[in-house]
Amino acid sequence: MLHLQPNNLLIQKTLSEAIEAYGNGTPLTLDRIISDFDYTTFHISNASEDKLTLALSIRTKAWQSVSQCTGGPGLVAYLQSKYANYSGISASSVPESGYDYTLLLDLGKLQPEAMKDLSLLKTLVLGYAFQLAFNEFVTLSAAPEGTESETNILHTIKYRDDENLFIKPSYDRITVIFETIFQDETDKVFGKVFLQEFVDARKRNRSIQSAPQVLFSHEPPLELQNAGAVASMNSSDTSRRFITFVLFPRHFQTPELQFSTLSHLTLFRNYFHYHIKCSKAYMHSRMRYRVDSFIKVLNRAKLDEEEEDIDQQSKQQQTRRTITGRKMVSY
Amino acid sequence: MSYLNNPAVVMDNGTGLSKLGFAGNDSPSFIFPTAIATAQPSSTKKATATTVSGGSGNSSSTNAFFGNTTSATAFNSSQTGSLLSNNLAGKRGTEDLDFYIGNEALIASQGPSYSLSYPVRHGQVENWDHMERFWENSIFKYLRTEPEDHFFLLTEPPLNPPENREQVAEIFFESFNCAGLYIAVQAVLALAASWTSSKVVDRSLTGTVIDSGDGVTHVIPVAEGYVIGSAIKNIPIAGRDITLFIQSLLRERGEADTSLRTAERIKQEYCYVCPDIVKEFNKFDRDGEKFAQFVVESQEKTRKKIVDVGYERFLAPEIFFNPEIASSDFLTPLPTIVDHTVQACPIDVRKGLYTNIVLSGGSTMFKDFGRRLQRDLKSIVNNRIAQSEQLSGTKSTGVEVQVISHRKQRNAVWFGGSLLAQTAEFKSHCHTKKDYEEYGPEIVRNFSLFNMV
Repeated sequence: MLHLQPNNLLIQKTLSEAIEAYGNGTPLTLDRIISDFDYTTFHISNASEDKLTLALSIRTKAWQSVSQCTGGPGLVAYLQSKYANYSGISASSVPESGYDYTLLLDLGKLQPEAMKDLSLLKTLVLGYAFQLAFNEFVTLSAAPEGTESETNILHTIKYRDDENLFIKPSYDRITVIFETIFQDETDKVFGKVFLQEFVDARKRNRSIQSAPQVLFSHEPPLELQNAGAVASMNSSDTSRRFITFVLFPRHFQTPELQFSTLSHLTLFRNYFHYHIKCSKAYMHSRMRYRVDSFIKVLNRAKLDEEEEDIDQQSKQQQTRRTITGRKMVSY
Repeated sequence: MSYLNNPAVVMDNGTGLSKLGFAGNDSPSFIFPTAIATAQPSSTKKATATTVSGGSGNSSSTNAFFGNTTSATAFNSSQTGSLLSNNLAGKRGTEDLDFYIGNEALIASQGPSYSLSYPVRHGQVENWDHMERFWENSIFKYLRTEPEDHFFLLTEPPLNPPENREQVAEIFFESFNCAGLYIAVQAVLALAASWTSSKVVDRSLTGTVIDSGDGVTHVIPVAEGYVIGSAIKNIPIAGRDITLFIQSLLRERGEADTSLRTAERIKQEYCYVCPDIVKEFNKFDRDGEKFAQFVVESQEKTRKKIVDVGYERFLAPEIFFNPEIASSDFLTPLPTIVDHTVQACPIDVRKGLYTNIVLSGGSTMFKDFGRRLQRDLKSIVNNRIAQSEQLSGTKSTGVEVQVISHRKQRNAVWFGGSLLAQTAEFKSHCHTKKDYEEYGPEIVRNFSLFNMV
């Protein structure tokens, strides 16, 4: 598996099980917790006594900061518009306690196609900020050439404790900046190699010239310094890095492109960390192989010694071996 | 806000199936085979071997189950291991990410380019390379969790060498940087799962666990949360043997479909334990309704085959109680083994072990399995008491025998883990990443027990 999927497999699976059970006339009693990356928790439960409606609630760390992003219809309205096309999905006016947003699903009306979109709920929450940026880009680029169209719009998504995601639309591009920090020493080293590779890959490989440009730096990039957003973070930590993706119009011209861009970008951190872990696993398998081969060498040395001993002890006794080379010894 | 709000991840990697899920749920989120399909290095003879076995559909997966059980294992696996690793050294791409796990692995292995392997054998992890990648995929793809944000509860079989625990800790703390780790013994978790049964009055961690999965059946005495290792007994009869037995019966009769899969479905849907085998034969002969028919649909749902289901309905589970009908080398019935196990334990815990016999695993799910076991065991115990009363001339107070079956039996180990991991004090029993860095892998040799009251 090279790429992480934007949709949550477990939501999809649970919902299809629920629909199937409903179809068989034996609706499931559900009370399940489902987790996703970046402090996101879903809760699927029976909303009513008769088990005909399900409640799908989401709680995510990014919710608060995304809903504060200005310039659009609001996060809740955005999500509503996304699910409006499907029958059987309605938003609960009061979210379940402890959760940020609750969708009520009518099992009788829910279509199988809706499940894919429901499993994308977390991506859509984060995607709202991207959608705003795409819209602002349109207005900014439509402004006449001469006017200074630099604005102070900067969307900040606080999706983890120490790491934030910044989106800055401008008249000719959208800049997406990830803040990254590593807890583990080994991760820092791996991370550095990976980040360098992100930057260099575009130079080396001609076939990916159309990919967004990637930059990384220790200092907050200028986009952030202007907006004064950096003040909030303490830049004392030396392992803090900033990864910048520069998106040009060709990356978000059509809705399909927009979706694939935002689903890749929202999963960037997870993808990044997943691959650091995979590399470590790969290193471990190399190490295990090497240790095995060393042990083989050691064992070879050991065998010779024993042989001499036995020869001296009892020359008349014939040593017999099994097919794998082990000696038969009689006590 | 930190990892404190995230549910703990509970993973039970068995020989046959892996159960993954989050603490607090009543059933595992994912249950799939502990199988991994890795990309073939090149079109060597190994590749041709899989194409041959892959052609015969289902049998390819079962072949992998059966292979490598003899003493030649070490020799075989080292050879394939070197082949693989040699090839690893030549890799410069992302070939190490080209693999599938679980059900996807079973599908992928039917093609020529992937080879299937089961990294867990007899409950213990044999191939750490594969296991590490199996975990990698199950955490990121299936559970979608960042291991840094979650605590993990893993399970291990009884008598797992401490070195294996250390390996697990190395993988989880160094590869995955998990927030915290707890490794629990499966038998203890199975005991904890039995607390949901109404028969259990005190939540004690003393009892005998009969854990019967696909490969092997263990009888494990646990006293106050500690496994009495010297008294553990194994029975080489488990789910797979029952399936094979059904298959052989079907073949003898010359049924239309005698595949292993059909036999397995029949086992799951029709089998039950009877109180008396002779009477049951009579019942079947008198009453034709007891015979059932099982319909096998071909993959495209175009052809249907009808398989008759007869005596195997009660004969198959009977091999636990009368092993001689299926095997010629292992002849001790399960109740006798349980009795021997308890008798091998210290005398002061024996009563507790008799009164709390807990079933766990899919092969204990047959209807009335617990009742039959309880009856047979009771007669063994009562005979012994009568004998000793006769010899000593005193009156015994008697020993209560109780077999507990409950609704969560199939995934009892996982469910027990889920119960324990959702408690508030679970995190204080875990070893954290910080502890690991301070003390090294040997820290996981000891875990404090849950004292749940």
